[in-house]
Amino acid sequence: MALHVRNLTAGYGGAPVLKQCSFSISDGETLVLMGPSGCGKTTLLHCLSGVLTPYSGIMSLDGRELSKLPMEARRIGLLPQDYGLFPHMSVSENVEYGLMVHGLPPSERSKVSAQMLKLVNLPGLGPRSITELSGGQRQRVGLARALAVRPGLLLLDEPLSNIDQITKDEVAHNLRRVFEKISVPKIVVTHGLFDALVLADRLAVMLDGRIVQLDTPQRVLAKPANELVRKLVRRPNAQEILRSR
Amino acid sequence: MKLDSRHAIWGLYLLSALLVIFSVSIILYQYVAALGSWSAVLAAMGEFRVLSALELSITSSIAATGLAILLGVPLAYLLATRDFAYKLLLETLVIDVPQTFPPIAEGIILLLMLGPSSPLGINLAYTFAALVLAKLFIAGPFIVSFVARRFRDIRRSGMSLTARSLGADPFQVFTTIYLPLSWHEIAAGSAMCWSRAMGELGGSLLFAGVIAGQTETIPTFVSVSATSFAIPALAATLLGTTASTLALLSFKRLMPKE
Repeated sequence: MALHVRNLTAGYGGAPVLKQCSFSISDGETLVLMGPSGCGKTTLLHCLSGVLTPYSGIMSLDGRELSKLPMEARRIGLLPQDYGLFPHMSVSENVEYGLMVHGLPPSERSKVSAQMLKLVNLPGLGPRSITELSGGQRQRVGLARALAVRPGLLLLDEPLSNIDQITKDEVAHNLRRVFEKISVPKIVVTHGLFDALVLADRLAVMLDGRIVQLDTPQRVLAKPANELVRKLVRRPNAQEILRSR
Repeated sequence: MKLDSRHAIWGLYLLSALLVIFSVSIILYQYVAALGSWSAVLAAMGEFRVLSALELSITSSIAATGLAILLGVPLAYLLATRDFAYKLLLETLVIDVPQTFPPIAEGIILLLMLGPSSPLGINLAYTFAALVLAKLFIAGPFIVSFVARRFRDIRRSGMSLTARSLGADPFQVFTTIYLPLSWHEIAAGSAMCWSRAMGELGGSLLFAGVIAGQTETIPTFVSVSATSFAIPALAATLLGTTASTLALLSFKRLMPKE
């Protein structure tokens, strides 16, 4: 298992928002954290990425205890909700950023950048300005940038929330195809069932700071742990979405 | 009678026009006043005292602005990105208070602190350095406040966190994200700082003194000669305010449109 989280409890100075959370993810697996606003899923991302220091618990990535490491040493690729692209840099400069701050020479950087842009199906887009890209393209540039530094874990915060409904289906399935090509464990935070069903290998349903069910999407749909989970995963075409993956 | 809102909006325009007329007429009246005796004003502009006062105003304001950038940008970064005890007090003291300080009081304090009877044993009174320090105190806050506002926006955008997650240390984040995204604000803050420094009076008058060719600037020359040498004072005023206005207009033209 690549990532182990045990009894993680965290908050913002007051009562804990995240309560005794435990789970593990193996290499290549995509775990989707789903739940309503305020359920603690973003707090969990903040703990893993280093924005927030947890009150207690263990976060171990490939045997390294994350809470002892500064943010830049955690080897965690982060794709924020708005993709966090740097507007003063071109597409390739964005993708190469992590390599540049690690001191890699320009020739190696551009080689990796070209590989990553090919991986996310944006070959040849390197010289473009960020402002010339569509929402889906921006998302893939953010993903290429996060992957370029060979992270041990990829965190994606609502990766489909800024994509319009017309193209969401295509963008979500493209994202899943990219996920299938990479061996990095991934955590995706979302409040949308569609996103969760397309992307998840396993689905963690969070309510009130706790993971109340953690299983494959098929089993969560078939046997919801309680009435609240049943309401969250109720969708007429859920099976159809799962079959479309 | 119920006021028609389509007509009421004209009331707002009228009120704003009153302030525009008040401010612009004061600025423009110096040119109107000069028109009556333009040849004498032009001749006064060529006088040694006026020219050296202009040169000292410009050079000391450039030096104060340079110092303000060097010290103010790091302070803006600290204020925008770190939360610490008494931050509000520090911001008030460094940014707000200097801009509302009574001008003469500033001069007296600087003279007591860094003058002939300085408890620190440093005497900078009546020197070029005194001019620069007096201007830095009053004008430096413009750079800090302009740049800190931009740095806060960048922090809120989350770009700095993304950069950290990609392996950048805090100093790399400062040089590769904060600084390149804030050049316009640094330039705009510098223009405001320089223009304010050009008009600084209290500290220059008491701390740097009014020594022609050494520490006399446009504002101090005007303050000591306004009653006895009205034409040279008017000429100096025209030079100082025109330079500041042109500097501000140039930077506003350079700033990107929202």
